[in-house]
Amino acid sequence: MPVVENNANAIPEDWEPKIIAFCCHWCTYTGADLAGLNRMNYPANVRVLRIPCSGRMNPQYVIEALNKGCDGVLVCGCHPGDCHYVTGNYYARRRMMIFKRLLEYEGLEPGRFQVKWISGAEAGKFRDTVMKAVEDVRALGPINLTREIPYFELPAMPDDDEEAFNAVPEEVFPEEVNA
Amino acid sequence: MSAQEIIRARAKELLESGEIATFIGWEAGRFTNQTTPLVITDAADAGKLVFNEYCANTLAKYVTDVLARGKVGLVVRGCDSRAIVRLINDKVIKREDVYLVGVGCPGMKDRKTDEPLKKCTECRHNNPLVFDEMAGENAEKAVPEDRFAEVKEVEAMTAAERTRYFESIYAKCIRCYACRDVCPCCTCRECFVDQRRENWVGKQNNVAENRFYGLTRVMHIGDRCIECGECERVCPMDLPLMKLNRKVIQDMNDLFGEFESGLVISAEPSVLTTYELTDREEFM
Amino acid sequence: MSRIGVFLCYCGSNIAGTVDVEAVAEMARTLPGVVYVETNKYTCSDPGQEGVKNAIIEKGIDRVVVGPCSPRMHEPTWRKLLADTPVNPYMLEVANLREQCSWVHKDKAIATEKAKDLVKMAVAKVARLSPLHSTEIPVHKKALVIGGGIAGMQTALDIADAGFKVTIVERETSLGGKMVMLDKTFPTMDCSACICTPKMSEVGNHPNITVKSYSEVESVSGYIGNFEVTIREKAKYIDYTKCTGCGACETKCPSKVINEFEQGMSKRTAIYKMFPQAVPSKPVIDAEHCRMLQEGKCGVCAKVCPTGAINYQDEDKLTTETYGAIVFATGYKLIDWKPLYPEYGGGKYPDVITGLQFERLVNASGPTEGHILRPSDNKEPKSVVIIKCVGSRDPNKGKAYCSRACCMYSAKHAHQYLDKVPDGRCYVFYMDVRTPGKGYDEFYMNTVHDGAQYLRGRVSKIYKEGDKLICKGEDTLTSQQVTVAADMVVLETAMVPADGIDELAAKFTVGRDADGWLVEAHAKLRPVETNTAGIYLAGTAQGPKDIPDSVCQAGAAASKVIGLLNKDKLESNPQISRVNEALCQGDGACANICPYGAISIVEKQFRENSRKVTRPVAQVNPGLCQGCGACTVTCRAGAMDLMGYTNESIMREVDALCQW
Repeated sequence: MPVVENNANAIPEDWEPKIIAFCCHWCTYTGADLAGLNRMNYPANVRVLRIPCSGRMNPQYVIEALNKGCDGVLVCGCHPGDCHYVTGNYYARRRMMIFKRLLEYEGLEPGRFQVKWISGAEAGKFRDTVMKAVEDVRALGPINLTREIPYFELPAMPDDDEEAFNAVPEEVFPEEVNA
Repeated sequence: MSAQEIIRARAKELLESGEIATFIGWEAGRFTNQTTPLVITDAADAGKLVFNEYCANTLAKYVTDVLARGKVGLVVRGCDSRAIVRLINDKVIKREDVYLVGVGCPGMKDRKTDEPLKKCTECRHNNPLVFDEMAGENAEKAVPEDRFAEVKEVEAMTAAERTRYFESIYAKCIRCYACRDVCPCCTCRECFVDQRRENWVGKQNNVAENRFYGLTRVMHIGDRCIECGECERVCPMDLPLMKLNRKVIQDMNDLFGEFESGLVISAEPSVLTTYELTDREEFM
Repeated sequence: MSRIGVFLCYCGSNIAGTVDVEAVAEMARTLPGVVYVETNKYTCSDPGQEGVKNAIIEKGIDRVVVGPCSPRMHEPTWRKLLADTPVNPYMLEVANLREQCSWVHKDKAIATEKAKDLVKMAVAKVARLSPLHSTEIPVHKKALVIGGGIAGMQTALDIADAGFKVTIVERETSLGGKMVMLDKTFPTMDCSACICTPKMSEVGNHPNITVKSYSEVESVSGYIGNFEVTIREKAKYIDYTKCTGCGACETKCPSKVINEFEQGMSKRTAIYKMFPQAVPSKPVIDAEHCRMLQEGKCGVCAKVCPTGAINYQDEDKLTTETYGAIVFATGYKLIDWKPLYPEYGGGKYPDVITGLQFERLVNASGPTEGHILRPSDNKEPKSVVIIKCVGSRDPNKGKAYCSRACCMYSAKHAHQYLDKVPDGRCYVFYMDVRTPGKGYDEFYMNTVHDGAQYLRGRVSKIYKEGDKLICKGEDTLTSQQVTVAADMVVLETAMVPADGIDELAAKFTVGRDADGWLVEAHAKLRPVETNTAGIYLAGTAQGPKDIPDSVCQAGAAASKVIGLLNKDKLESNPQISRVNEALCQGDGACANICPYGAISIVEKQFRENSRKVTRPVAQVNPGLCQGCGACTVTCRAGAMDLMGYTNESIMREVDALCQW
C-alpha cells in the first residue's frame, strides 16, 4: 500500500546522530566512568541514561526514544553471570532478543537498536561499542519513522472498475430476520 | 441430541439447581446467520441459546464481567477453553469460578461470505482442552500446515517494504482498543495507554503513537497469546494484528523451545519471565 | 511547580577545560522548574557544599541537580549534604559532566552541547522524583549456623564469644562434620580428633550456643535481621533429658547396620552414637533399622536403659525461631566416583578405596585400629598407588575445578603409609602438585624424601591379576608406559557440594554456581556474603577448601554476623519497588522474577464500587528488595514501580533527551 513520501528530504549537512544509551549502574556505567578516567576519546553523540540493572530496561523506553526522534538506542548491562542482582540480565537477554527481532520485523535497521554486555572493567569495549553504534547510525542516516498520518493514495481495488467502486454494498441494507 | 439441545438443557439444569449464577452462550442475532454472545441468569431463557457454525465470538472474557454474580457457566470450544486457561493462569479467575460445557468446534464461518473465518482456518486446537462436561462429540478439523506462514510472508519483504507495510497499518489504526478489549490476555486493571501520569502514549491518533501502542501491545501479550485471532476479527480497520503476535510467538518458539500458550492450567512462569543459562548469546 | 536548584561544578579545569560551564548554566536557567543555577570551582569542597546548603535555604529549593563528577563517586556525599537541609536526600539527580563528558571529548563546543543535554535530562528526571524515606528494620540478636562441621563450629564459637546467641543445626547425630573423620591434619600432622573434639565439646558446653543435632531446616521466611526459620528435629526415640550416654543400649542392640562414619568398613548397631566422642554424647535410634520400630518386637534397649530414656513413640519436632543472621556452613561430600570411572573398577574391587576410607583405616579409632590393612583380606598392602584428581580437573567425567586440598592430603597419605609400613612402596600419580600454603611445599618435599614415588600422569586402567591390582598409566615426564602392581589403590576424589544443598539454597534464595557451590556476593570483595542480605557463607559450602581456609572463612563470616548483630536497627534502602495496589492484578509475574524472593502475593480486602472485594495483590518486603527493578518490567500494568527510577522519570528523561 503506497504511502506518500514524507521523509524523503535530504540529510541536512550539520546532521549528527543522536543515540541514547541505557546503561546499568553496576557494570556498563562503571565501564563508561572508567573510559573517562582513562581519558579515552569517543564521539559525543551518545548520551547515557543510568538504570539500576538491564533487567529494569522496559522496551517501552526504546519505542519512546525512537518515536521521539533518537536515531539509535543502545542497551548495555553486565555480562550474563555477572549481574549485580544475580539474574537481571538473563531476563533482559530474553526480552531484548524478542524485542529486537520485533523491531527489525517492522523494518527498523538492526544498527539502530543494539544490545551489548559491557563489564565495569571494559572501558575499551564501551568506547568501541559507542564508536561502532555512531558509525552504524551515521551510515543509516536520520531515523525515518513516520510520525503523522500521511495522505494515502486510495488503494487499488482488486478489480479496479468504476462499476464495482460505485456499487452500493449489500451490507448497508441487510435483511432483518429476527427483528 | 444436537450440541445445541444439550447446551440448552444443561444451561437450564445448572441455573435451576443454583450451581451457577449465570450462563454464557450465543443467541441468534438480528440478521441472517448472525449470532451474538448471550448472558442468561434465568433458566427460562435457556431456549434462546444457539450453537451453529456462525458462533464467531469467543466467550471467555465475558466471564470477568459477570463473575461478581457468582459461578459462571459457559460453552467452550478450543479457543474459549484456552482463553479460560489463560485467565486462570493469570489469576484473573479461579478454576472453580467457572463451569465449562465443552463443545467440539468444526470451525466457524463468516456470515457474509459463508467462507471459514480466518481465525478458524488457523486454529490448531478446535476441541476444548479444559471442560467439566462435553456437549456431544469432539469435532474433526484440518490443522493448518504452517503456523507461521503469514509471518514468513512479511519476513520475505525488504526492510523498507516492511517499514511501509507496518506504517500503513499504524496509519489506519484508529486506536479504538477493540483488540485490547477482546483479548483474553489483556486483563490489566488499568491498561498502560490509560495511564496519564507515566504518559506512555499520547492522546493523538498518529502513526508514532499508534506504533507505540501496537508494539507495546505485542510485547505485553506476546508471551501469553493463545492465538484465538479475536483481535484481528474485531478490528474495524481489518488490520492484520496476528502477523505481529505470531512474529513474537515464532521467535519464542525458535529461541526458547516449543511455545503454545493456554494449553494447561499451571503456575509455570511465562517464557519471558524465566530464563535458561544456556539461552543463545547475541549481545556479547 | 517544583523549585529545582542546579549546581554545576568546574572541578578545577577538569570539567571547565572542555565544557563551557557558564553556557550550560545559562541554558539551565531556561529550563522549566529551575529557580536557581550556581556554578562553583569545586562543588564538593567544604565551601562549595556550604554554598549549596545556603542556596537551598535562601531560594526555597525543593529538588537538586548537581553537575559534577560521576554519581558513583559522590552521590553519597550529595545525599548526606541534603540530609542536613530541608530537601529530601532522594530528590537529587547527578549529571555526570566529568567522567562521561569532559574527560572523553576534546571539542569544547561538542562537549558543551552534550553537557547541556545531560543537565536537561537530570532536570527532567528530578522534577518527577518523589521524596523517599528509609525505614528502620529491627535486628534480632541471634544467629543461625547451618552445619556443625569445623567451619560451622568455628563460626558459632566466634559469634557466641562476642556475646550473641547462636543455634547450630546439624543434620547428623553429632557435630564434627568431615574433619572429625580424619586421622591427622597437614602440614603439622596434629591428630585431627585432638584438635576437633575439644572444639566440639566447647560448642556443646557454650552457654550461648544451642546445638540442634539430627535436625534440618524445614522452612524460612523473612529478611535480614528477621529470618523466621522452622527447624525439624528428627525423632531420636531417646529422651535426652534422661539419657546419660552410658552406652549400655549400644552393647545390647541386635541389629547391625553398615557404619557410615567408618565409610562402610565396619558395622554399627541400630541404636548408636556416630563415634565415641560425639557431641551431643547421646545415641539415637536409626528407625529404618530398628526391629522395635519396624516390626514391633525387640525392645532390648528399653530394657537395658538404666534411666528409662528410650521412647519408641517419639516424633519429629518443629520449632520456629527468629534469627538476625544466617550462616551456611553446609560443607561438602566426596564425588561418587564409581559410575564415573569404570576403568578404575567402578567399585568392583574392594581394595580401590577413597581418601576418606584411607583416613579411617589409618586412624587409631578406626575399624582396623590404625593398622593399614586392605579391606578385601585384611593384609597389609606392600605397595600402594595413590591417584590424584579423580573427578577434579576432569571436565569430561567429573568437575572442571581443582579440589584444592587433595595435593596436600595425598602427600599426607603417602607419608602416613610409608611411616606405618616402612618396607612398603608408594606411588602417587598426579597431574600437577599444587602446594601453596604455609609449610605446604616443605611437607610435600618431605614426603618425596620419605620415598614416595611421584609419577606425572593419569592412571588409565586398573584391573585385577591374581592378588594384585594392576594400574596402567603413563609417566609423562619420561613418556613411558608405567605398570604398577599394587596391593591397594587410594583415589583422592573431588569435593562436591553436600546433598540437599540445592533445596536448602532455594529456600533461602541463595544462588548456586554451575557446580552447585553457593555463590558469594562478590568473588573478591564480598567473599563470605551472599546476595541475600543477612546470609553468609563459611567453609566448603562456598567451594573446595582445606581446614585452615575453612576456619579463616568461618571467622570472617562470624565477624560479618557480629557486625550486623551489633546494630539495634538497620536502615533500609528506600530506592526499592513499590506496588500500586489499585493496579495490581496479583498474577505473580513479579514474584516469579524477583531474585531475592522479596515479593509475595497476598490476599487483601478492598472496597471497590461500594463492594468489599478480596483479591490477591503483590507485596514487597522492604528488607529483601534490593532495588533492581526486574519486577517493574514484568508488570504490564505498571503496578510495580521502582522508587528513584520510576517509569515516569525515565520516560521524561528520554523525552528531554529527544528534544536535543
